[in-house]
Amino acid sequence: MIEFNLNGKMVETDVPDDTPLLWVIRDEFGLKGTKFGCGIAMCGACTVHLEGAAIRSCSMPIAMAKGKQVNTIEGFDGKHPLQEAWIEEQVPQCGYCQSGQIMQAATLLEKNSSPSDEDISAHMSANICRCMAYPRIKKAIKSAATKSKSAVNIYDPATSEES
Amino acid sequence: MNLLNNFSKKKTDDSLQLSRRKFLIGAANSALIMAFAPLTMSMTTSATEAIKQNAFSPSIWFEINTLGEITVHVARCEMGQHVGTALAQIVAEELGANWDDIRVVHASSDPKWGFVMTGGSWSVFQMYKPLSQAGAAGRLTLIDAGAKILGVSPDSCEVRDSKVTSGNKSVTFAEIISKGKFDRTFTPEEMATLPIKSPDKRHTIGFDRLALDVPPKTNGKAVYGIDVELEGMVYARPIIPPTRYGSKVLRVNDSKAKTIKGYLGYEILQDQSNWIEGWVSVIADSYHSAIKAADAIKVSYQPGDTTNISEQDIIDEGHKLVNSKNAGVLFVNDGDTDKAFDSAANTLSATYVTHTAMHFQMEPLNALAELKDGIWHIHCGNQSHSLTLPAVAKALGVTDDEVIIHQYYLGGGFGRRAYGDYAIPAALTAKQYGKPVKLIFTRPDDAKFDQARSASVQKVSAAIDDNNELFGYEHNISAGWPTLSMAPGFMPKGIDDKGNFDPFSTSGSDHWYSIANNRVRTINNPLAQKTFTPGWLRSVGPGWISFGAESFIDEVAHELNKDPVEMRLAMLDGKGKNKGHHPQSVHGAKRLKSVLEQCKKSANWGKKLPKNEGIGFATSFGQEREMPTWIACAAHVAVNPSSGEITVKKIFMTLDCGTVVHPDSALAQIEGSILWGVSLALYEGTEVDKGNYAATNFHNYTPLRMNDMPEMEINFVESTEFPVGLGEPGVIAVAPAIANAIFNATGIRLRELPIKPEHIRQQSKNA
Repeated sequence: MIEFNLNGKMVETDVPDDTPLLWVIRDEFGLKGTKFGCGIAMCGACTVHLEGAAIRSCSMPIAMAKGKQVNTIEGFDGKHPLQEAWIEEQVPQCGYCQSGQIMQAATLLEKNSSPSDEDISAHMSANICRCMAYPRIKKAIKSAATKSKSAVNIYDPATSEES
Repeated sequence: MNLLNNFSKKKTDDSLQLSRRKFLIGAANSALIMAFAPLTMSMTTSATEAIKQNAFSPSIWFEINTLGEITVHVARCEMGQHVGTALAQIVAEELGANWDDIRVVHASSDPKWGFVMTGGSWSVFQMYKPLSQAGAAGRLTLIDAGAKILGVSPDSCEVRDSKVTSGNKSVTFAEIISKGKFDRTFTPEEMATLPIKSPDKRHTIGFDRLALDVPPKTNGKAVYGIDVELEGMVYARPIIPPTRYGSKVLRVNDSKAKTIKGYLGYEILQDQSNWIEGWVSVIADSYHSAIKAADAIKVSYQPGDTTNISEQDIIDEGHKLVNSKNAGVLFVNDGDTDKAFDSAANTLSATYVTHTAMHFQMEPLNALAELKDGIWHIHCGNQSHSLTLPAVAKALGVTDDEVIIHQYYLGGGFGRRAYGDYAIPAALTAKQYGKPVKLIFTRPDDAKFDQARSASVQKVSAAIDDNNELFGYEHNISAGWPTLSMAPGFMPKGIDDKGNFDPFSTSGSDHWYSIANNRVRTINNPLAQKTFTPGWLRSVGPGWISFGAESFIDEVAHELNKDPVEMRLAMLDGKGKNKGHHPQSVHGAKRLKSVLEQCKKSANWGKKLPKNEGIGFATSFGQEREMPTWIACAAHVAVNPSSGEITVKKIFMTLDCGTVVHPDSALAQIEGSILWGVSLALYEGTEVDKGNYAATNFHNYTPLRMNDMPEMEINFVESTEFPVGLGEPGVIAVAPAIANAIFNATGIRLRELPIKPEHIRQQSKNA
């Protein structure tokens, strides 16, 4: 039995230890917002947060989530500033990769409250959007960063070490 | 040639049928329902009776309930184009609806109503007129009922914001529905004469609305095919045989799989249509167990006869075909091309090759199948029930009316979900195992079963007269043909009556340049055809044919010492067959000329650029001559001649697609399709190796990512002309514009897609 925290609630599962976190989230707990894309951590559609870091759940055995905090798109409850920006900028086309894009982008804004174009490209190039809605993903991240600095939890290791 | 009509000939397509149908307005379940009905509906049946009996077309209908909510049902799938929003905007415009009252439901279609396919960039083009008329009929009916309630004459009434207004009195749609009685039938003749709003009175078409499918795609709530579950279902993963066709399973050894927790067994699939041969389906209580079990099972095969076919074999065959005088069928034959070449002062020709390209849509192929009360229920996202449903029925050995396909959001279509053959192994597994089955392809499975864009070879030749003018043009095209494999009944005859051809592997060659003697021959590559299922890939034929055609125009201009833009402009005179016709191609080639002139200005053609940088142009008329989307594209590239590295700095695109229904979605489609064009030109492409595609996953198939994205400048021409297609055309002109830019930057002419740094290095060395 493996116990972990999923979107703020403790849950447990008895699937085999090597089962990827992705299938546990989707098929055991019914949270279908996290998507299957490649199975080898190359496309980013399955991105979730493990202890606050963006990880590819398709390649993370459930055993590694034991006792840890896992957050999925559903955990944002539609209230993350990025989700609002995604609607404002009309980002999604087919939409399949967008949960992963938003989860990936959220970890950028946590570290960098006003990312440059280059910062965004470097951070987001791990995630494929096959519709290639990249210009809008970029715009939405910028607009979320500008509009809602207060709402984004900012942590900069460099400055916090100095202080 | 009209591709749509080709599809329609056999099973009349829904929009063409709509124009020959009655329109019903009646009440049912305390809502006002407006729908098309067949002409055969009895004269004595009232609209309300027909609606209560569901005797109306599900292709498109809408209802208004007593709360004033307007639900538009559309039989088009949502795969990123926000098509539901655009179609609902057309209805809302004529109806006079407040946009906040609009909902969209993606209805399943029923084969008896005609051919339905979301593809070909057809949706808005097809539905614009019937939807406008349907909305107008609804508006007239609401005005009549509203006028009665207000006690005024209908002539004094206006409709806007879901209200009928006369002077200072008004009544809402909701109130009208609660109080009014409706039972009215419009004949097709009446529908055709309904007053449609003039463009200056519009309040919805041409204005941005938040696309209705976007919010659920930001919070994980949008339901795709892969997300659907049914009580009692099991999971399955296919084991795909070594050749696409003709493989037989000899033995299956699952002894190792038996140790895997959750493994339930396997089935050797028996497809009564023989579309899939030699498939084994592995069943488990979870998908992860099915993946592991399939990896553990050993299958011995007698493979088909394509195990040794390579990309080069297919391309060699293509070279042979385009150089053969009598291969294929004639598609264009203007003037006397032989005579032109015989009498030419000079001739030149070039051969262009494009490599196998794949879909790699983000949602891997999947379907869920269940037999319930004698009916097969198939749950999956797909672009065409009309193509998919009969294929599934045939594989199962049942009739079409024993299958229902349930529609969901598509995690990418791009043509891969047009012929939904991935539902076949799901249905067969469910039939043989006797339970509802959710069959999911892993990414490598999906890649192996892709319907790739076939490798192609095309030879283009020019005859130059004594005045240094292009007066003869010949284009021989060869590739595997998707329509031959998946919808052979929809292939028209060549003009020489020597056989049928695939319009989706030919269109794009029938250009709008005025050249007196002009011949196009289109040829199937049988080696490609038997090795894999050639597929429709976003932008289809024009997506690779224009690479040859538009690169070659630049080659001719260079040979004649002419400016390639000026040479194009001179040939776009809009004369003869290129003058176009009402409504969709009115003004013809002159509109293409106009976008090219504008694009030339945007790109500042002629300005001095740094060394090893260049701008190149190409034009496109979209997916087909009968639905021209007029496009000019300029690519600004920088080339590193020693490493061969190519940087696309900026793409300029000017388009005229007539009326733009939903500007922001239109822009999104063009942004995405320009990047598709860059991706197919530089980053995508694979090869056939031992009868299979070499690419298996995103580590060896590498579409453009955010860090590869060029700057883009996109300009739409403001127009009130008939709307045409937008989902694919933006892809087409990008690759030839890049190739032409590379030539202008370096003098290196590349005739192969994808363009790779080693091609540049090779030619730099040779130079």
